[in-house]
Amino acid sequence: MISRQLTFRLLAFAALVAVIGLVFWSQSSAFASTGNLRSLMRHMSVQGLAALGLTFVIVVRHFDLSFPGIASMGAMTLGWLIASGLPLPVAIGGGLAVGLIFGLVNGIVVARLGLPDIVTTIATGGLAIGFSYFYSNGTSISQNFFMSGILDLNDRKIAGLDMPFAILMGAAALGAVLLHASRLGAGLYATGQNRTSAHFAGIPTRRLIVLAFALSGIGACLAITLLIASSGAANVTAGNQLLMPAFAAVYLGAALFGRPSIGATLAGTLLMSMMLNGFTLLAIPYYYSDAIVSTVLITAIAIFDPRVSGLLRRAGRRTGAAT
Amino acid sequence: MADGTRTILDMRGIEKRFGDVKALDNVDFDLDAGEIHALLGVNGAGKSTLIKILSGVYTKDAGRIEIGSEACDLGTPRAAIGAGIAVVQQHPELVGDLTGAENIFLGHEGAAGGLFTRIDRAGLAARAEALLARFPIEIDLSRLVADMPAVDREIVAILHALRLENARILILDEPTSTLTEREKSSLFAMMRMLRAAGIAIIYITHRLEEVFEIADRFTVFRGGRNVACHTVAEARAKGLSIPNLMLGTGAGLTFPPRSSTPGDTVLEVEGLSCGEMFRDVSFSARKGEIIGIFGLVGSGVDELSKALFGVFRPDRGEMRLKGRPITLKSPAQALRAGIFLVPGDRRTEGLTLDENVTFNTTVANLSRASFGGLLRFGANRRAARALAGKVDLQPMRLDRSLRGFSGGNQQKVVIAKGLYRQADVYIFVEPTVGVDIGARSKIYTLMREISRDAAVIVISSDCDEVHSIADRTFALYKGVPIGGAARDTSRDTLLHAGIMGGVAA
Repeated sequence: MISRQLTFRLLAFAALVAVIGLVFWSQSSAFASTGNLRSLMRHMSVQGLAALGLTFVIVVRHFDLSFPGIASMGAMTLGWLIASGLPLPVAIGGGLAVGLIFGLVNGIVVARLGLPDIVTTIATGGLAIGFSYFYSNGTSISQNFFMSGILDLNDRKIAGLDMPFAILMGAAALGAVLLHASRLGAGLYATGQNRTSAHFAGIPTRRLIVLAFALSGIGACLAITLLIASSGAANVTAGNQLLMPAFAAVYLGAALFGRPSIGATLAGTLLMSMMLNGFTLLAIPYYYSDAIVSTVLITAIAIFDPRVSGLLRRAGRRTGAAT
Repeated sequence: MADGTRTILDMRGIEKRFGDVKALDNVDFDLDAGEIHALLGVNGAGKSTLIKILSGVYTKDAGRIEIGSEACDLGTPRAAIGAGIAVVQQHPELVGDLTGAENIFLGHEGAAGGLFTRIDRAGLAARAEALLARFPIEIDLSRLVADMPAVDREIVAILHALRLENARILILDEPTSTLTEREKSSLFAMMRMLRAAGIAIIYITHRLEEVFEIADRFTVFRGGRNVACHTVAEARAKGLSIPNLMLGTGAGLTFPPRSSTPGDTVLEVEGLSCGEMFRDVSFSARKGEIIGIFGLVGSGVDELSKALFGVFRPDRGEMRLKGRPITLKSPAQALRAGIFLVPGDRRTEGLTLDENVTFNTTVANLSRASFGGLLRFGANRRAARALAGKVDLQPMRLDRSLRGFSGGNQQKVVIAKGLYRQADVYIFVEPTVGVDIGARSKIYTLMREISRDAAVIVISSDCDEVHSIADRTFALYKGVPIGGAARDTSRDTLLHAGIMGGVAA
């Protein structure tokens, strides 16, 4: 059963996609080419996985600024393991383990010790970047990459879909079951919205916050794995490009759909990726597109904020009453 | 008013609504220059709302306010300060790292020339001296506030409120709650001096003995109305009972019949103590009956309820559930043991307001609401609908978020949540605060129904509620239990036990 409100939100989202798509298409016909749409979806896959992980942290009303740093360290760990000649599954597992471990550290420090999330994750993110230099003193790693099969993660297809997009869809499906159909998900929302009442309802709020940070770390490392598969090399700055689009995607989705959720994050990621892809096509320099992404982020935060949305609603009612 | 007194504040027909709750209903209130006027009432009676209107935090919906026979609007805190109203909050926010004098003139250091001008410390000290000359009090204002005893901090807060020349009405919100007896008498000495200087004081307190000690007049609020205003001399002469005025009689309410057949003992509490909050609480709760505990705010009842639910850990005493000793370290453990708390503050402790009825009903028992870790959407909806029907939720909208329900119906959802949990012990704290009359009767009936299969404990600051719904009652006064959960405790005995520690009025 789809409520009227959800229908309205879906229509608003479709309208946004259509408007953005038409604007770029009218500026550059290459926007709608199959090749470009496939590269858009690849881009979306990387950003989407990081944003999916972050969604869990936002649901429990915390912040994670460490995942770009964790992703960089995951990338270098993965690269180093491949270069050392270990089998690909082991290497990927090693990269994801970095995300898991740092996520657990974040979660334990924030939930158990009660330290502020922003400062904590800035610190752990910085720590992860520092560690990522250990493997090669900061030079990028690409030995054995061709032999290892990691490039297949980018080039292969599954059921007609490019592998990265298939992985994103798989992760989103898992995430949706976890967040929207499991008792853990119910506990995550309860924890985020009212931690005291969740605690009084017997929900293990601290453990769930640790889980959310762990998923954020793993999501970031999975995202970076796909990025490495497409670029063919691991380097220490790989994670830098994840931070802003992921936050913008989660908040934009939450603003569109009223609350953070897996679907909302996918929607937000699609919009972000369309914009970034379009700007690249139009050869708009990255510093401008960064500025635009930041504008989108702050607008979305404002709309997601209950006080601002309350103000907007009241203003809308007033103008509605006036006409 | 008698001749010779000068009315400085006159409020007529003040109304204030919050949603469908009338916080103030056609209230009149007046204050004379140079009097200490106690403002009394249980929680939710409307005292704070009146004070917030006077201090410009809330705007009144209707009514007229005159200060010094001039009509005033008081729409903003600035307007209230301009009209000469000075407020000292219950827990004044002072800056511990600054001296008393700096705190008094915080934000009004008077340094001309912008943000980076040095604060003129000598000038500040001089102004503090001038203030002390107006109100001669023994206090060293050059000390850091963090190093001051509680009463000096209170005095700094009062001087801060009175720093402006025009201040003529001082509102003190429970200033004695953290003071020792000796500190209290120095605060009272200061209040008498302010009175002599012509300042009118509105004094809010829960300690009724203080009314006779310090106040000239008192006004009692109940259910958003001004129900009595007397001089203290008058009250003494006529032997008026302030507790009766505060609590009234629960007119218009129906209570379910009491039980006569208690069953097995479910919960035994023996000598439970928790720091300063409560001491040596013992009682037993049986199936088929309701235990009532009456206690005012600050008496330790809220803490007791939370200790029974594993939020606080008691430092002495024992709890036995069905004969087996239990130690509770968390609410999760209490729930597993079969204890459910309907908390006193349902909005912050009992509900997830942005989620819908189904979510809130099932959230305290997610293992029942899921299978193999996955939520059983259909079954949960059916269970929520059945329970919503049982508690008579109005309107019956399971998909609506809890924000869309009235206080009474929100409370019904908390009860549905407890029923979904199927506990052996239900603890209700302030079950009907902010609940309209109709929903109240329904909630009482539900409590009685629940007590057929479980032990029910009701904890409330409403003496009539406790006395009317419970089969056995006792009171908590300053953390000490008074009366031994006897069957036939009279309402007045319970009332005086809870309000004055058992001394007859």
